[in-house]
Amino acid sequence: MNLAHHPETLERLAANYALGTLRGGARRRFEHMARAQPQVRAAALAWQTRLSGMTELQHAVAPEPEVWERIHNLVRADIEAARMQHARAAGAAPGTHAQPQGWWRSLVALRALALAGVVATLTLWVSGSNLRTQLEEQLVSLGGQLNDARAQLQASPQTAYVAVLQDEKSNASMLVTFDPRKRTLSLQRVGDFQESADKSLQLWALPPTGGPRSLGVLGEQRIVRLEASVGDVASVPLLAISLEPKGGVPSAGGPTGPVLFKGALIRNGQ
Amino acid sequence: MPIDAPDEALIALIDRVASRDEAAFKALYDQSAARLYGLALRIVRNRELAQDVLQESFLQVWRNAGDYRGHLSPPMAWMGLIVRSRGLDFLRRRTAERTNVTEPIDEHTQQTLAGNAANPLDDAQASQLARALHQCLARLENQQREVVSLAYLRDLSHRELATQLRLPLGTVKTWIRRGLDQLRSCMARYA
Repeated sequence: MNLAHHPETLERLAANYALGTLRGGARRRFEHMARAQPQVRAAALAWQTRLSGMTELQHAVAPEPEVWERIHNLVRADIEAARMQHARAAGAAPGTHAQPQGWWRSLVALRALALAGVVATLTLWVSGSNLRTQLEEQLVSLGGQLNDARAQLQASPQTAYVAVLQDEKSNASMLVTFDPRKRTLSLQRVGDFQESADKSLQLWALPPTGGPRSLGVLGEQRIVRLEASVGDVASVPLLAISLEPKGGVPSAGGPTGPVLFKGALIRNGQ
Repeated sequence: MPIDAPDEALIALIDRVASRDEAAFKALYDQSAARLYGLALRIVRNRELAQDVLQESFLQVWRNAGDYRGHLSPPMAWMGLIVRSRGLDFLRRRTAERTNVTEPIDEHTQQTLAGNAANPLDDAQASQLARALHQCLARLENQQREVVSLAYLRDLSHRELATQLRLPLGTVKTWIRRGLDQLRSCMARYA
């Protein structure tokens, strides 16, 4: 049917299309006609525009102040990531100021990448929603774990720092939160990684200057708590987890095994 | 049709956000967050979820502000569409996760169906588009208005509306048809 010759029917279909109540085969047929006939396309667009005003007609409700705080943090991380990407693109090679240890240098180079990734992951994790399809599917497969973690986080208003540590494929593997009141770092395993019986995972702070500093060795349980002072955490942009011999290695020598997970530490609200 | 003063102010802010102006971003948030949060609440009906929707929407506004000039919508409608789209993502996701949950009718919908609530309009902020729609919606009976609003905001089919509102399917279809017919003749005057 040439809908252009049936203005009443066209208007009715276009209105239902824009409203969302035109479904199934009728919707597909309408879309097909819209691609072929400009009048149909125009009617659909006109109705979409009219109805879009509906979004302005809801009661205003002031959002809780921490929502802005969360948005602000994510935007700051975005800016930081863009800045570092820009610096790298401009050829400012990392590691020219000092000659740090091998893996430490590579971590510095990866920092921009990790930050960019953590923005996506954090958003996902905080909200339990969209962004990258791959991560989304993965999150779904992780079941309610992240939601539980979010609930825990929101139930503890003192949580001032969060990090999502990712493996090299950007899979979220460890959720880290810091509670300054209890001076406790909580680590929750969200991936399925399990070290072998003769190995331990060790958490490191990577301060802007100086070498890595051990924050502790993780047990095998899903949720691990480590004691840490505010000073240990406040000025640290990045956390990393390395695979070490059972019981871990001394802090002074730095990690000896491969770095499995890393991620930016971000101040959370408050 | 001249551009509204409030629209012009918001467009100027969005332009500055596109050039990574954080102060402009805060100003844009201060001027629009309450309205958009109200919208998110209406769509997802849950405070925690609505906060997440608002957060993701503003992150999207921050990242895509440069694209706004390519849209023909007024600024509040543009941001509103982002919130609606993110909100619907959340709803679809939740439906996928929990298939056996029956949603309670929220208080606002209950009141509206009972016939004592109307769409609010913030005159200082609303675009001309929203004002026209507001006037036309105001001519509908409360029930028709509510059913049409919910169909749009929550992207619900006739059948889903009937289930959510505990109404017969035929009633929902009739209200939507009459509502849209009246909106059409009314909106034609503003076209």
